[in-house]
Amino acid sequence: MDILPQLIINSIIAGAIYTLIALGFNLIYGATKFFNLAHGVVVAIGGYSFFYFAKTLGLNIYVAVIIGVLLVGFVGYGLNKLVYLPLRKRKASNMVLLVASLGAFTALQAIIAILFTSQFKTLSHGVGIQRIFEFFCGVITQTQIIIILTAILVMVGLVLLLYKTHLGKAVRAISDDEEMARIVGINTNKVIGYTFFIGSAIAGLAGILVGFDTGIEPTMGLSLLLKGVIASIVGGIGNIYGGVLGAFLLGFVENFGIWKISGEWKDVIAFALLIVFLIFRPKGIMNK
Amino acid sequence: MDKSKKWVIGIFVVAIIAVAYSISKMDSLGPSQQVSIEPIKIGFIGPLTGDAANIGQNSRAAVEIAVKEINQDGGIGNRPFEIIYEDGQCTGNVASNAANKLINVDKVSLILGGACSGETSSFAGMAEQSKTVVLSYCSSAPEISQAGDYIFRNYPSDLYQGSFSAEYIYNKLGKKKIAILYGKSSWGNGVKDVFVQRFNELGGTIIATEGYEQTSRDLRTQLTKIKSVNPELVYFLGYTEASIPGMKQAREIGLDVSFFGGDVWDDSKIWTDVGSAGEGAMYSVVYAPLNSDFKAKMKNSVGSDEITICTPQAYDAVKLIAKVIEKVGTDAEAIKNELYKTSYTGGVSASEITFDSNGDPVGANFIVKVVRNGEAIEAK
Repeated sequence: MDILPQLIINSIIAGAIYTLIALGFNLIYGATKFFNLAHGVVVAIGGYSFFYFAKTLGLNIYVAVIIGVLLVGFVGYGLNKLVYLPLRKRKASNMVLLVASLGAFTALQAIIAILFTSQFKTLSHGVGIQRIFEFFCGVITQTQIIIILTAILVMVGLVLLLYKTHLGKAVRAISDDEEMARIVGINTNKVIGYTFFIGSAIAGLAGILVGFDTGIEPTMGLSLLLKGVIASIVGGIGNIYGGVLGAFLLGFVENFGIWKISGEWKDVIAFALLIVFLIFRPKGIMNK
Repeated sequence: MDKSKKWVIGIFVVAIIAVAYSISKMDSLGPSQQVSIEPIKIGFIGPLTGDAANIGQNSRAAVEIAVKEINQDGGIGNRPFEIIYEDGQCTGNVASNAANKLINVDKVSLILGGACSGETSSFAGMAEQSKTVVLSYCSSAPEISQAGDYIFRNYPSDLYQGSFSAEYIYNKLGKKKIAILYGKSSWGNGVKDVFVQRFNELGGTIIATEGYEQTSRDLRTQLTKIKSVNPELVYFLGYTEASIPGMKQAREIGLDVSFFGGDVWDDSKIWTDVGSAGEGAMYSVVYAPLNSDFKAKMKNSVGSDEITICTPQAYDAVKLIAKVIEKVGTDAEAIKNELYKTSYTGGVSASEITFDSNGDPVGANFIVKVVRNGEAIEAK
């Protein structure tokens, strides 16, 4: 049996998931220039808030998705308002912000574990109910198709937002030079607050989708964040297209990398890709 | 100027707190040593969050029951028994930090745990050096046998489980061409190595060996490769968190052979979650003579019938420790010497617990369970 089609599908699924993480991460990085590690935990919050609204309260799943995504957006917004903004006002270095975000990550992850226990939970109802589609000897599930479509839609939406709206213009201005943006009259703190909202909401959506595909657990954020960060760096940090490109490159490299060698090398390959890029092309594929 | 002033004040405050704390500590220590009602404290390490958290939480519930029972019966020599719980997250460095705290800050003479082999291995050396007794209720990696004089466990080594499973699959199930999918952990690697050796000795062929990062939940490519070589059975060594998506992904890509797993699959959560994807899956598990009294107490505590692997061992370990401390006191060396000599009967994890010269339990009795309609039952 030829496994090539399935490998391509597996790579695309992984790439789409990494895209969703990298998009939000890059958006926030672009505006603030620091590594927001708490971006990992907002993914988990997305999965868990959906779990709470849909399964515990029994709301309609579409309603639960919307509430979940908005809630995560507010969490991101709140983190900025309560933690990062006061630090930035005090001219804290990016290292301080990184450490603060790591603190937020750990604390929020612990809170999730306290509220929902650390048991692994699945959002879908077993196998068999999901529709499975076949493409040239490869298979893909309905959820996975939704993940891929969502990744594309979110990317298009984000590009439109950045290039067709006033808010987008402001975000790009801040990305280029925050100081200058402020001088020309942009309320930078407000705009950064919005980017946190949007970026986190995307991550929350990713958390819900991953929950449908595999499952949720409080610690799910870290490995997804790491892959998202690799995708961002490889593609060009702070660059929206770069993040998408990096995400798919990572998905393909790590899945094709273990075609001929054993699967335990997958993470070695992923991080080797990161190191290669850091050494030879530190600005990523899409040089600004 | 202002900054340095703040620093000075800060240092003063810290110093005052430290002094006040040590004085209050001395106060409370002084009289209590005379009447000796100071609780006897030991440490507990297990995965309370993260991978295998289900096992850690369930074991903790059993430990709490055992401690409560001991204290209701008057404690150990009239001193209350107390456990300091630390989260090892099934991860080496986290468990090692936890052990460090228990040994150096709490100064316990005994650590109950860790659960995951990776946890126990990470601090066994430290414990051995500081002469702290370790009694693991769950770690099965073979190398723990050689970890040191102070390191014990009342859970059998993977040497038993790996070769038991190889023999069962080859002889009883008659599957000769199989594939292995394992999570990279002390436990996964440990069982896999023994299994591979025994299965090859028996004359079987392992046509694919695929590993994955313990925290990975995307096993599609590994499963795709396994599917392409058409094995008769997949020996899948994964913790709950990866096994659930793993089994689902296998069915999604059309890998329809049966799965055979290890003792960590003795977790009802897996089978309710994977639904039809788990039908017919089998796994090896240590036989435990659970009695209805223990089952009732657990149900009362956790609110369900759930008794994961290692939970009976954790319960017995507490009772065993209490018995030993009652006899020889809290000196670690005395506890260690007594453990080698002790024999504990009437437990819920085995009919008799005794330790060999490696600190391993003597004898191990495995059975195979098979999943039918989302429930694991003993296979004949």
